[in-house]
Amino acid sequence: MKFVSDYIVPIGPEGLKIVETGKWRTRKPVMDVEKCVRCGMCLLYCPVNSVKKNEDGSFEICYDYCKGCGICAHECKKKAISMAAVKEDE
Amino acid sequence: MNVVDKLAAYEDQISPGISACVGCNVELTLRTCMKVLGPDTIFAIPPGCMGGVGVVGWDKQSGARTPVFFPLLDNVASMLAGIKMHYEHIGRKVNVVAFAGDGASVDAGMQCLSGAAERGDKLIYICYDNEGYMNTGYQRSGSTTKGAWTSTTPVIDGQGGKKQNKKDFPMIMAMHDLPYMATMSPAYIPDMVRKLERAMVEAERGLVYLHVYNPCLTGWGCKSDESIEVSRLSVETNFAPLYEVEDGKFKMSVDIKNPKPVREFITRFKKFRHLTDEDIADLQAFTDRKMKRLHELCKM
Repeated sequence: MKFVSDYIVPIGPEGLKIVETGKWRTRKPVMDVEKCVRCGMCLLYCPVNSVKKNEDGSFEICYDYCKGCGICAHECKKKAISMAAVKEDE
Repeated sequence: MNVVDKLAAYEDQISPGISACVGCNVELTLRTCMKVLGPDTIFAIPPGCMGGVGVVGWDKQSGARTPVFFPLLDNVASMLAGIKMHYEHIGRKVNVVAFAGDGASVDAGMQCLSGAAERGDKLIYICYDNEGYMNTGYQRSGSTTKGAWTSTTPVIDGQGGKKQNKKDFPMIMAMHDLPYMATMSPAYIPDMVRKLERAMVEAERGLVYLHVYNPCLTGWGCKSDESIEVSRLSVETNFAPLYEVEDGKFKMSVDIKNPKPVREFITRFKKFRHLTDEDIADLQAFTDRKMKRLHELCKM
Protein backbone atom coordinates (compact mmCIF):
# COMPACT_ATOMS: atom_id res chain seq x y z
CA MET A 1 0.00 0.00 0.00
CA LYS A 2 2.59 2.49 1.10
CA PHE A 3 5.89 3.35 -0.48
CA VAL A 4 8.81 2.67 1.85
CA SER A 5 12.12 4.44 1.32
CA ASP A 6 15.61 3.67 2.60
CA TYR A 7 15.69 7.23 3.86
CA ILE A 8 13.34 9.13 6.16
CA VAL A 9 11.74 10.66 3.09
CA PRO A 10 12.00 9.68 -0.58
CA ILE A 11 14.76 11.49 -2.48
CA GLY A 12 14.79 12.06 -6.22
CA PRO A 13 12.61 10.06 -8.59
CA GLU A 14 11.66 7.35 -6.09
CA GLY A 15 8.14 7.32 -4.62
CA LEU A 16 6.59 10.06 -6.69
CA LYS A 17 3.19 11.28 -5.53
CA ILE A 18 0.90 11.61 -8.53
CA VAL A 19 -2.58 13.07 -8.35
CA GLU A 20 -4.95 11.85 -11.06
CA THR A 21 -5.72 15.34 -12.31
CA GLY A 22 -7.16 13.99 -15.58
CA LYS A 23 -10.36 13.21 -13.64
CA TRP A 24 -10.89 16.91 -12.88
CA ARG A 25 -11.60 17.73 -16.50
CA THR A 26 -14.98 19.17 -17.42
CA ARG A 27 -13.87 20.28 -20.90
CA LYS A 28 -11.47 18.56 -23.21
CA PRO A 29 -9.11 20.22 -25.72
CA VAL A 30 -9.32 18.74 -29.21
CA MET A 31 -6.67 19.63 -31.78
CA ASP A 32 -7.50 20.11 -35.44
CA VAL A 33 -4.32 18.89 -37.16
CA GLU A 34 -5.33 20.52 -40.46
CA LYS A 35 -5.30 24.02 -38.95
CA CYS A 36 -2.15 23.53 -36.83
CA VAL A 37 0.89 25.48 -38.07
CA ARG A 38 3.23 23.88 -35.50
CA CYS A 39 4.19 27.11 -33.71
CA GLY A 40 4.29 25.32 -30.34
CA MET A 41 2.42 27.95 -28.31
CA CYS A 42 0.28 25.20 -26.73
CA LEU A 43 3.43 23.43 -25.51
CA LEU A 44 4.91 26.65 -24.11
CA TYR A 45 1.82 27.62 -22.13
CA CYS A 46 0.37 24.28 -20.99
CA PRO A 47 0.67 24.43 -17.18
CA VAL A 48 0.44 20.64 -16.78
CA ASN A 49 3.02 19.81 -19.46
CA SER A 50 0.40 17.80 -21.35
CA VAL A 51 1.39 18.79 -24.88
CA LYS A 52 3.95 16.54 -26.50
CA LYS A 53 6.09 17.23 -29.55
CA ASN A 54 6.38 14.26 -31.87
CA GLU A 55 9.49 13.42 -33.86
CA ASP A 56 7.90 14.57 -37.12
CA GLY A 57 7.38 18.04 -35.60
CA SER A 58 3.66 17.73 -34.95
CA PHE A 59 2.08 18.40 -31.57
CA GLU A 60 -0.18 16.09 -29.63
CA ILE A 61 -2.31 16.57 -26.51
CA CYS A 62 -1.97 13.90 -23.82
CA TYR A 63 -5.08 13.46 -21.72
CA ASP A 64 -3.66 11.61 -18.69
CA TYR A 65 -3.18 14.71 -16.53
CA CYS A 66 -4.84 17.47 -18.58
CA LYS A 67 -7.06 19.51 -16.25
CA GLY A 68 -9.03 21.11 -19.09
CA CYS A 69 -8.14 24.71 -18.26
CA GLY A 70 -8.49 25.89 -21.87
CA ILE A 71 -5.26 27.92 -22.02
CA CYS A 72 -4.09 26.07 -25.17
CA ALA A 73 -7.37 26.82 -26.98
CA HIS A 74 -7.25 30.47 -25.88
CA GLU A 75 -3.61 31.03 -26.84
CA CYS A 76 -3.70 29.20 -30.20
CA LYS A 77 -3.36 31.90 -32.87
CA LYS A 78 -4.90 29.69 -35.58
CA LYS A 79 -7.84 28.48 -33.42
CA ALA A 80 -6.73 24.92 -34.08
CA ILE A 81 -7.73 23.76 -30.59
CA SER A 82 -11.35 23.73 -29.44
CA MET A 83 -12.79 22.80 -26.07
CA ALA A 84 -15.31 19.95 -26.26
CA ALA A 85 -17.64 18.85 -23.47
CA VAL A 86 -16.61 15.73 -21.54
CA LYS A 87 -19.21 12.94 -21.56
CA GLU A 88 -19.98 11.32 -18.23
CA ASP A 89 -18.68 7.87 -19.13
CA GLU A 90 -15.26 9.22 -20.21
CA MET B 1 17.63 25.46 -30.86
CA ASN B 2 14.48 27.45 -30.30
CA VAL B 3 12.61 27.57 -27.02
CA VAL B 4 9.82 25.17 -28.03
CA ASP B 5 12.31 22.45 -29.00
CA LYS B 6 14.29 23.07 -25.82
CA LEU B 7 11.29 22.77 -23.55
CA ALA B 8 10.01 19.74 -25.47
CA ALA B 9 13.37 18.02 -24.98
CA TYR B 10 13.90 18.82 -21.29
CA GLU B 11 12.62 16.36 -18.74
CA ASP B 12 9.86 17.53 -16.43
CA GLN B 13 11.24 17.47 -12.88
CA ILE B 14 7.89 17.80 -11.14
CA SER B 15 5.32 15.05 -10.55
CA PRO B 16 2.98 14.92 -13.59
CA GLY B 17 -0.11 15.35 -11.45
CA ILE B 18 -0.06 18.04 -8.76
CA SER B 19 -3.22 19.50 -7.33
CA ALA B 20 -2.75 23.15 -8.35
CA CYS B 21 -5.89 25.01 -9.42
CA VAL B 22 -7.07 24.49 -13.00
CA GLY B 23 -5.09 26.84 -15.26
CA CYS B 24 -2.68 27.97 -12.52
CA ASN B 25 0.18 29.91 -14.10
CA VAL B 26 2.42 29.33 -11.07
CA GLU B 27 2.38 25.64 -11.97
CA LEU B 28 3.51 26.62 -15.47
CA THR B 29 6.25 28.81 -13.98
CA LEU B 30 7.44 26.04 -11.65
CA ARG B 31 7.57 23.40 -14.38
CA THR B 32 9.38 25.73 -16.81
CA CYS B 33 11.91 26.81 -14.17
CA MET B 34 12.65 23.26 -13.08
CA LYS B 35 12.92 22.02 -16.69
CA VAL B 36 15.57 24.63 -17.41
CA LEU B 37 17.44 24.23 -14.12
CA GLY B 38 17.66 20.50 -14.71
CA PRO B 39 18.11 17.43 -12.52
CA ASP B 40 21.16 18.73 -10.63
CA THR B 41 19.01 20.96 -8.52
CA ILE B 42 18.05 21.02 -4.86
CA PHE B 43 15.08 23.17 -4.17
CA ALA B 44 13.08 24.45 -1.27
CA ILE B 45 9.42 25.39 -1.31
CA PRO B 46 8.25 27.19 1.82
CA PRO B 47 4.58 27.08 2.88
CA GLY B 48 2.53 28.58 0.10
CA CYS B 49 0.61 27.50 -2.97
CA MET B 50 3.27 25.26 -4.48
CA GLY B 51 3.98 23.62 -1.11
CA GLY B 52 0.29 23.07 -0.55
CA VAL B 53 -0.37 21.39 -3.90
CA GLY B 54 2.00 18.55 -3.05
CA VAL B 55 5.29 19.38 -4.75
CA VAL B 56 7.06 18.99 -1.39
CA GLY B 57 5.46 15.57 -1.01
CA TRP B 58 2.82 14.06 1.17
CA ASP B 59 2.48 10.87 3.16
CA LYS B 60 6.07 9.61 2.67
CA GLN B 61 5.97 10.35 -1.05
CA SER B 62 7.78 13.08 -2.96
CA GLY B 63 6.29 15.55 -5.41
CA ALA B 64 9.38 16.12 -7.54
CA ARG B 65 12.13 14.12 -9.20
CA THR B 66 14.81 16.36 -7.75
CA PRO B 67 15.45 16.63 -3.99
CA VAL B 68 12.91 19.01 -2.50
CA PHE B 69 12.20 20.11 1.03
CA PHE B 70 9.81 22.21 3.03
CA PRO B 71 11.47 24.93 5.14
CA LEU B 72 9.61 27.36 7.36
CA LEU B 73 8.10 30.55 6.00
CA ASP B 74 10.93 32.69 7.36
CA ASN B 75 14.15 30.69 7.01
CA VAL B 76 14.22 29.67 3.33
CA ALA B 77 17.34 31.55 2.26
CA SER B 78 19.37 30.77 5.41
CA MET B 79 18.60 27.06 5.20
CA LEU B 80 19.59 26.92 1.52
CA ALA B 81 22.77 28.88 2.28
CA GLY B 82 23.86 26.04 4.58
CA ILE B 83 23.05 23.41 1.96
CA LYS B 84 25.00 25.27 -0.72
CA MET B 85 27.96 25.59 1.65
CA HIS B 86 28.01 21.83 2.16
CA TYR B 87 28.00 21.12 -1.57
CA GLU B 88 30.77 23.65 -2.13
CA HIS B 89 32.74 21.90 0.62
CA ILE B 90 32.44 18.47 -1.01
CA GLY B 91 33.05 20.05 -4.42
CA ARG B 92 29.87 19.17 -6.25
CA LYS B 93 28.19 21.66 -8.55
CA VAL B 94 24.45 21.89 -7.91
CA ASN B 95 21.83 24.60 -8.37
CA VAL B 96 20.38 25.48 -4.99
CA VAL B 97 17.04 27.04 -5.64
CA ALA B 98 14.22 28.56 -3.62
CA PHE B 99 10.76 28.70 -5.13
CA ALA B 100 8.90 30.88 -2.69
CA GLY B 101 5.68 32.83 -2.74
CA ASP B 102 5.41 36.51 -2.01
CA GLY B 103 4.48 35.84 1.61
CA ALA B 104 7.71 33.94 2.19
CA SER B 105 9.84 36.50 0.31
CA VAL B 106 8.25 39.91 0.65
CA ASP B 107 6.81 39.59 4.17
CA ALA B 108 7.98 36.82 6.47
CA GLY B 109 11.22 35.67 4.84
CA MET B 110 12.55 39.09 3.92
CA GLN B 111 15.24 39.42 6.60
CA CYS B 112 16.87 36.06 5.86
CA LEU B 113 16.71 36.71 2.11
CA SER B 114 18.26 40.14 2.57
CA GLY B 115 20.95 38.57 4.75
CA ALA B 116 21.75 35.89 2.19
CA ALA B 117 21.90 38.55 -0.55
CA GLU B 118 24.32 40.63 1.46
CA ARG B 119 26.54 37.62 2.31
CA GLY B 120 26.57 36.62 -1.34
CA ASP B 121 25.33 33.06 -0.82
CA LYS B 122 25.25 31.37 -4.20
CA LEU B 123 21.54 30.68 -4.46
CA ILE B 124 18.88 31.19 -7.10
CA TYR B 125 15.86 32.67 -5.37
CA ILE B 126 12.65 32.63 -7.40
CA CYS B 127 9.68 34.49 -5.97
CA TYR B 128 6.24 33.93 -7.49
CA ASP B 129 4.23 37.00 -6.64
CA ASN B 130 0.50 36.31 -6.59
CA GLU B 131 -0.17 39.22 -4.26
CA GLY B 132 -1.24 37.44 -1.11
CA TYR B 133 -1.40 34.28 0.95
CA MET B 134 -3.48 32.53 -1.66
CA ASN B 135 -3.42 28.93 -0.44
CA THR B 136 -4.71 29.76 3.05
CA GLY B 137 -7.66 31.81 1.86
CA TYR B 138 -6.51 34.96 0.01
CA GLN B 139 -5.19 37.05 2.92
CA ARG B 140 -3.40 40.31 2.17
CA SER B 141 0.39 40.50 1.98
CA GLY B 142 2.89 43.31 1.61
CA SER B 143 2.75 42.69 -2.10
CA THR B 144 -1.00 43.22 -2.57
CA THR B 145 -1.99 46.12 -4.83
CA LYS B 146 -3.69 49.11 -3.22
CA GLY B 147 -7.47 48.90 -3.28
CA ALA B 148 -7.63 45.13 -3.77
CA TRP B 149 -10.18 42.95 -2.05
CA THR B 150 -8.67 40.19 0.10
CA SER B 151 -10.24 38.15 2.90
CA THR B 152 -8.50 40.35 5.49
CA THR B 153 -9.31 43.61 3.69
CA PRO B 154 -12.98 42.99 2.86
CA VAL B 155 -15.19 45.28 0.82
CA ILE B 156 -18.54 46.24 2.35
CA ASP B 157 -20.98 48.39 0.33
CA GLY B 158 -18.22 49.36 -2.09
CA GLN B 159 -15.98 50.56 0.76
CA GLY B 160 -12.79 48.83 1.86
CA GLY B 161 -9.96 47.01 0.18
CA LYS B 162 -6.28 47.38 0.97
CA LYS B 163 -5.28 50.89 2.00
CA GLN B 164 -1.53 50.70 1.43
CA ASN B 165 0.60 50.61 -1.70
CA LYS B 166 2.33 47.50 -2.98
CA LYS B 167 5.91 46.95 -1.90
CA ASP B 168 8.21 47.19 -4.92
CA PHE B 169 10.22 44.13 -3.98
CA PRO B 170 12.27 43.55 -7.17
CA MET B 171 13.61 47.09 -6.75
CA ILE B 172 14.47 46.42 -3.09
CA MET B 173 16.42 43.33 -4.17
CA ALA B 174 18.08 45.23 -7.04
CA MET B 175 19.40 47.74 -4.50
CA HIS B 176 21.30 44.89 -2.80
CA ASP B 177 23.66 45.11 -5.80
CA LEU B 178 23.22 41.47 -6.70
CA PRO B 179 25.14 39.90 -9.58
CA TYR B 180 21.81 39.38 -11.35
CA MET B 181 18.20 40.31 -10.66
CA ALA B 182 15.34 39.98 -13.11
CA THR B 183 11.57 40.10 -13.27
CA MET B 184 9.75 37.50 -15.34
CA SER B 185 6.22 36.74 -16.51
CA PRO B 186 4.55 33.41 -17.40
CA ALA B 187 3.30 35.05 -20.63
CA TYR B 188 6.89 35.58 -21.85
CA ILE B 189 8.32 32.07 -21.69
CA PRO B 190 11.31 32.59 -24.08
CA ASP B 191 12.36 35.58 -21.95
CA MET B 192 11.95 33.47 -18.82
CA VAL B 193 14.10 30.65 -20.21
CA ARG B 194 16.85 33.10 -21.22
CA LYS B 195 16.87 34.67 -17.74
CA LEU B 196 17.02 31.29 -16.01
CA GLU B 197 19.99 30.26 -18.13
CA ARG B 198 21.68 33.53 -17.26
CA ALA B 199 20.82 33.00 -13.58
CA MET B 200 22.57 29.60 -13.54
CA VAL B 201 25.77 31.26 -14.74
CA GLU B 202 25.55 34.33 -12.49
CA ALA B 203 24.79 32.25 -9.38
CA GLU B 204 28.50 31.38 -9.33
CA ARG B 205 29.11 34.90 -8.02
CA GLY B 206 26.35 35.39 -5.48
CA LEU B 207 22.62 35.39 -4.91
CA VAL B 208 20.43 35.69 -7.97
CA TYR B 209 16.91 36.96 -7.45
CA LEU B 210 14.11 36.33 -9.95
CA HIS B 211 10.65 37.81 -9.46
CA VAL B 212 7.67 36.37 -11.33
CA TYR B 213 4.36 38.23 -11.41
CA ASN B 214 1.61 35.58 -11.42
CA PRO B 215 -2.05 36.66 -11.43
CA CYS B 216 -3.96 34.15 -9.27
CA LEU B 217 -7.15 32.92 -10.91
CA THR B 218 -8.98 31.68 -7.84
CA GLY B 219 -7.98 34.46 -5.47
CA TRP B 220 -8.34 37.35 -7.88
CA GLY B 221 -11.45 36.12 -9.69
CA CYS B 222 -10.70 35.36 -13.33
CA LYS B 223 -11.43 32.58 -15.82
CA SER B 224 -8.89 29.76 -16.21
CA ASP B 225 -8.40 30.10 -19.98
CA GLU B 226 -7.48 33.79 -19.60
CA SER B 227 -4.60 32.92 -17.28
CA ILE B 228 -1.85 33.76 -19.78
CA GLU B 229 -3.73 36.65 -21.39
CA VAL B 230 -3.99 38.56 -18.09
CA SER B 231 -0.34 37.85 -17.32
CA ARG B 232 0.53 39.36 -20.68
CA LEU B 233 -1.67 42.38 -19.92
CA SER B 234 0.23 42.96 -16.67
CA VAL B 235 3.36 43.51 -18.75
CA GLU B 236 1.67 45.41 -21.60
CA THR B 237 0.16 47.92 -19.16
CA ASN B 238 3.54 48.36 -17.41
CA PHE B 239 1.90 47.17 -14.19
CA ALA B 240 4.63 44.55 -13.78
CA PRO B 241 7.41 45.59 -16.18
CA LEU B 242 10.03 43.09 -17.30
CA TYR B 243 13.55 44.27 -16.59
CA GLU B 244 16.89 42.92 -15.46
CA VAL B 245 19.72 44.32 -13.38
CA GLU B 246 23.25 43.08 -13.80
CA ASP B 247 25.81 44.48 -11.35
CA GLY B 248 23.76 47.65 -10.90
CA LYS B 249 23.10 48.17 -14.61
CA PHE B 250 19.38 48.37 -15.33
CA LYS B 251 18.01 47.16 -18.65
CA MET B 252 14.47 46.70 -19.96
CA SER B 253 13.95 43.16 -21.26
CA VAL B 254 10.59 43.86 -22.89
CA ASP B 255 10.21 47.54 -23.65
CA ILE B 256 6.54 48.39 -24.23
CA LYS B 257 6.49 51.39 -26.55
CA ASN B 258 2.78 52.26 -26.25
CA PRO B 259 1.58 50.87 -22.91
CA LYS B 260 -2.12 50.08 -22.56
CA PRO B 261 -4.03 51.85 -19.78
CA VAL B 262 -3.86 50.07 -16.40
CA ARG B 263 -7.68 49.98 -16.44
CA GLU B 264 -7.57 47.18 -19.04
CA PHE B 265 -5.67 44.96 -16.61
CA ILE B 266 -7.49 46.01 -13.43
CA THR B 267 -11.01 45.46 -14.78
CA ARG B 268 -10.28 41.82 -15.61
CA PHE B 269 -10.44 40.77 -11.95
CA LYS B 270 -13.22 40.48 -9.41
CA LYS B 271 -10.96 41.68 -6.61
CA PHE B 272 -10.81 45.15 -8.21
CA ARG B 273 -14.51 45.29 -9.15
CA HIS B 274 -15.41 47.88 -6.48
CA LEU B 275 -12.73 50.40 -7.55
CA THR B 276 -13.99 53.81 -8.67
CA ASP B 277 -12.58 55.77 -11.63
CA GLU B 278 -10.62 57.84 -9.12
CA ASP B 279 -8.99 54.75 -7.58
CA ILE B 280 -8.00 53.49 -11.02
CA ALA B 281 -6.57 56.91 -11.92
CA ASP B 282 -4.51 56.72 -8.70
CA LEU B 283 -3.18 53.30 -9.70
CA GLN B 284 -2.36 54.62 -13.17
CA ALA B 285 -0.44 57.55 -11.66
CA PHE B 286 1.39 55.16 -9.29
CA THR B 287 2.34 52.87 -12.20
CA ASP B 288 3.49 55.82 -14.35
CA ARG B 289 5.62 57.20 -11.52
CA LYS B 290 7.34 53.86 -10.95
CA MET B 291 7.83 53.36 -14.68
CA LYS B 292 9.41 56.83 -15.01
CA ARG B 293 11.85 55.98 -12.23
CA LEU B 294 12.70 52.69 -13.92
CA HIS B 295 13.36 54.40 -17.27
CA GLU B 296 15.60 56.92 -15.51
CA LEU B 297 17.54 54.07 -13.90
CA CYS B 298 17.93 52.38 -17.30
CA LYS B 299 19.48 55.55 -18.72
CA MET B 300 22.15 55.72 -16.02
